[in-house]
Amino acid sequence: MTLAITLVVLTLIKATPIVYAALGGVISERSGVINIGLEGMMVAGAFFAVIVSYATGSPILGLTAGVAAGAAFGYVLALAATRFKVDQIVAGTGINLICTGGAAYGLVLLFNQPGASVQVRALGSNYWTLVVLAFALAGALHVVLYRTPWGLRVRACGENPSAVTSAGLNPLLLRTYAVVLSGALAGLGGAFLSIGELNLYSEGMTAGRGFIALAAVIFGRWTPLGATGAALVFGLFEALQFVLEGRIAWLPPSAMSALPYVAALIALAGITGKVRPPKADGVPY
Amino acid sequence: MQGSAQPVLLLRDIRKTYPGVVAVDDVDLELFPGEIHALVGENGAGKSTLASIAFGEVRPDRGTVEARGAVGLVHQHFELAGRLRVWENVLLGREPRRGWRIDAAAAHAHVIALAQRNGLEIDPDAFVDELPVGIQQRVELLRELDREPAILLLDEPTAALAPAEIASFFATVTALAKRGTAIMIVTHKLAEVMAYAHRVSVMRHGGIVERTLAVQTSGEQLARAMVGGDLPPVAARAATTHAPCLRVADLHGGEDERAVRGVTFEVRSGEIVGIAGVEGNGQSALADALAGVIPYRGTIERPPHARIGIIPQDRLAEALVPNWSIVENAILGRQYRARSRRGMLIDRVHAREDARQIVERYDVRTPSLDATVKHLSGGNQQKVVVGRALIDAPSLIVAYNPTRGIDVGASALVQSRLMQARNEGAAVLLISFELDEILSLADRILVMYRGTIVGAFEREAVERAQIGRLMAGIA
Amino acid sequence: MKRTLSTLSGPLGAILLIVVLMSLAMVVAGTSPIDGFSALFLGALGGRNELGETLVATTSLLFPALGITLAFRAGLFNIGAEGQLLMGGLFAGAVGAAIALPPVVEITLLLLLGAVGGGIWGGIAGWMKARFGASEIIATLMLNFVAAFLALDLVSGPLKGPLASGAETAWLAPQYWLPTLLPHTRLSIGLVVALAIAVVLQFVFTRTVFGYDLRAVGEAPEAARRSGIDLRRLTWLSLALSGAIAGVGGAVIVTGELHRFNTQLSPGYGFTAIAVALVGDLNPLWVCVAAFGFGILEAGGLAMQASAQVPKDAIHLIEGLIILVLAARRYVAARTEVA
Repeated sequence: MTLAITLVVLTLIKATPIVYAALGGVISERSGVINIGLEGMMVAGAFFAVIVSYATGSPILGLTAGVAAGAAFGYVLALAATRFKVDQIVAGTGINLICTGGAAYGLVLLFNQPGASVQVRALGSNYWTLVVLAFALAGALHVVLYRTPWGLRVRACGENPSAVTSAGLNPLLLRTYAVVLSGALAGLGGAFLSIGELNLYSEGMTAGRGFIALAAVIFGRWTPLGATGAALVFGLFEALQFVLEGRIAWLPPSAMSALPYVAALIALAGITGKVRPPKADGVPY
Repeated sequence: MQGSAQPVLLLRDIRKTYPGVVAVDDVDLELFPGEIHALVGENGAGKSTLASIAFGEVRPDRGTVEARGAVGLVHQHFELAGRLRVWENVLLGREPRRGWRIDAAAAHAHVIALAQRNGLEIDPDAFVDELPVGIQQRVELLRELDREPAILLLDEPTAALAPAEIASFFATVTALAKRGTAIMIVTHKLAEVMAYAHRVSVMRHGGIVERTLAVQTSGEQLARAMVGGDLPPVAARAATTHAPCLRVADLHGGEDERAVRGVTFEVRSGEIVGIAGVEGNGQSALADALAGVIPYRGTIERPPHARIGIIPQDRLAEALVPNWSIVENAILGRQYRARSRRGMLIDRVHAREDARQIVERYDVRTPSLDATVKHLSGGNQQKVVVGRALIDAPSLIVAYNPTRGIDVGASALVQSRLMQARNEGAAVLLISFELDEILSLADRILVMYRGTIVGAFEREAVERAQIGRLMAGIA
Repeated sequence: MKRTLSTLSGPLGAILLIVVLMSLAMVVAGTSPIDGFSALFLGALGGRNELGETLVATTSLLFPALGITLAFRAGLFNIGAEGQLLMGGLFAGAVGAAIALPPVVEITLLLLLGAVGGGIWGGIAGWMKARFGASEIIATLMLNFVAAFLALDLVSGPLKGPLASGAETAWLAPQYWLPTLLPHTRLSIGLVVALAIAVVLQFVFTRTVFGYDLRAVGEAPEAARRSGIDLRRLTWLSLALSGAIAGVGGAVIVTGELHRFNTQLSPGYGFTAIAVALVGDLNPLWVCVAAFGFGILEAGGLAMQASAQVPKDAIHLIEGLIILVLAARRYVAARTEVA
């Protein structure tokens, strides 16, 4: 019985960062911008949360910094996509490299040790707030996207930006808001990883969650609730790692670690082609 | 007709150039309340550019635009979000609210009231991409009308409409004019201009070459002004022999509204079979099935070694690689043939020869064979496509809107070459949205409506009015 | 001439950007740019050893960069070069430690196995894209992780060398090491192999029917489809070949540099290679030049870190910026549907 409870709790915890990033992915793609840089924005969020917590001693300020960092890189992507009309995939990849390289650089510069930071003041048990917040935000985003004027306009940007122009609005500005928000969400997810679950930053801690989140977006048909559900599934696979570790003798440890990624692969194979992304997704306007 | 003597839209000394071409050349234009003003001209004459400038979408290099009132523009290619609902499209940016939420019920009621005021019917909750094209246009129109514009610009509004829908459209427009809205229609359909417009301005090469009242002119006069002379003649029709070359039986393919649902027909050597119909009635699915790019049920039979030449309807997206040269494009679709390759390598010498042959035979205006195709004008691009399709003397040709969006001279040349191919024994299937083209080229005419063939005519026995009714789905 | 200038303006701009940013990074780290750059260039080109290391880095970057270039030209985005490198190296290292054949035969076999390993890894993503339309970006990335875990498992357990202290295969016998190109350095003839592949690739692009088809698919997929090109087959084949080239790179690292396989094979070459491919404007011959430039950065960066105290991770940061800037110059369309 306690095993089941442990599994549920772990699933929620492991799913949380993916939920944040996936919600970011949904809002971005709904506005028509593919955000491949979610991983980098998570890294930025995780890193800056630790830095600021270290500097100020306040995990709350750290959290805020993490969100801001993610939003800042979101803005970079938004600029690249709307003003410079570059290929969004390439731009996102660039952001990923900038953030991971930058974090590694920063680690050496600031802490004089590669690989991990020192321990900092973390959220402690307050991190549960973030877990609950993630799922609350999923619901909120659903309402915003489908019931508010802003949500309608963002969705229109993702379907046909020229319709938005015809309505006298600015699709590029709307896309910018959406992408900045997506970066902020990813940053929050990253901050959860560093000062929520743990109390430090270590290289590679995001472990591709930003990409798994993209798979969750596709699997969830570009809806907030769907993506959250998919994120929960991926979280479950991660949680299974811990629960099953050592219990199944014939399964090598790395197979469990690889499970979320394999799951993402299988999900991708199963669902793509049966669902349609927003019509103008990835197309510069 | 004209309520007051004060123009409600003034364009003065408008000039707009794009690299290499003067799109609008020192144009003056005035629009009065309550009039229906037709701006006519061939493709590339500058009408759409002028409309965009009038609407404020494009800034002119020189000149002033003065609009005394709100301006609405209904585009030639609709700017709608297909996966959103009608009311969401109509009220985008002006959504009725209840607090911070959208008031969906109010939106629904608002759209119905708006439609009724203008004598139109619409389902506010329908998804736009599930509606027929004529109704989609209604959505775009309603969106503009909701802003109560003093000026309404309509860009090629009847391009995608069936004859019955055209009549209903003009009824709406005429009613709007009577209520004082100034209406400018950009079009190349002279019959409609003669039937509904008050004043006409003819554009050619970026300038206005004739201004007249509709009652004081005729279709032929307008056509001559548009073209600047008489059209070059299409090649004459020769007697030919007739062995069957293409047999289609009970063909089904494609999806939803635009599917082809069971067509049966035959095309013989030495004849042109024309398929007439309004866009969206299954022609694309038929063409794609014949080209082998979509799955289909039913039979398509051809003699086993018959070569097939295909002219797709969208040259830049379906027939050419825009960034490549004429030489490289000359072998696209032919690169596996023995002539185009030497084993695993491309035969560059032959490719160049073929490109040269196409350019010469089709009078492609280009600085060199290595010019990038996207820098050619639409007409020259299309000539490359047609030249390539016909270069291997195919026994079967499928031409889908082969003269769409190209200048008159290029159109005439393309049509001539198709006729020549027919005279030399090719079987030609011509699918076109331009009824005039079909009437002038085809030996036999089939009419498609909702994915099936609803009428068949021999060339001599054709009755234009009846074709029009069939195209609209009226028996 | 004008065309060359315009082609160069992007990479030249990138080089300028690199210089400016690195100066910044040096200043932030407390070193003057002059000291920093001297350390960098001396460390990269100052002597025979240094040149050797630079060319080793060049080689390791060139293989995945060429693979990525091939994929890009077909309109596909391969960010799984890291995993493909790893799998290629794994195959080569595992088999090399296990069998004994005449040296020339064995070395050739190991390189081919590298191609097989990487090719399978790329091919999985290619198959997923061709068959299901699955995004190759996500697929290749997920496969990176799977490769890392798989390799770790295998060399910690069944493939672990009997005398090995850590998670790695047994050392290759010296006769199976790739011959050295520059005496007294670590540079092997792997560089020659890479350059040869670059030349072959350029030839394939410009002169062969396959290259014609590939470029058509990359530039105009709909027109390519209608021209009779089998899009699915080409997609799958392109990703498999892309992976194979990267895989050979892994095998070269194993046989020429490390002489065994472990999971520390690549410090992110697969990602840096993306920048290399873009700076090389997706032209195999220019990619060689770009690889040399980045090789200087990688090799010199270590020296810069040692003597001038500038962390070499600054380079990865800058690489990301390069990609971002160059993305502005070249529009590489990424498509998510093939069928």
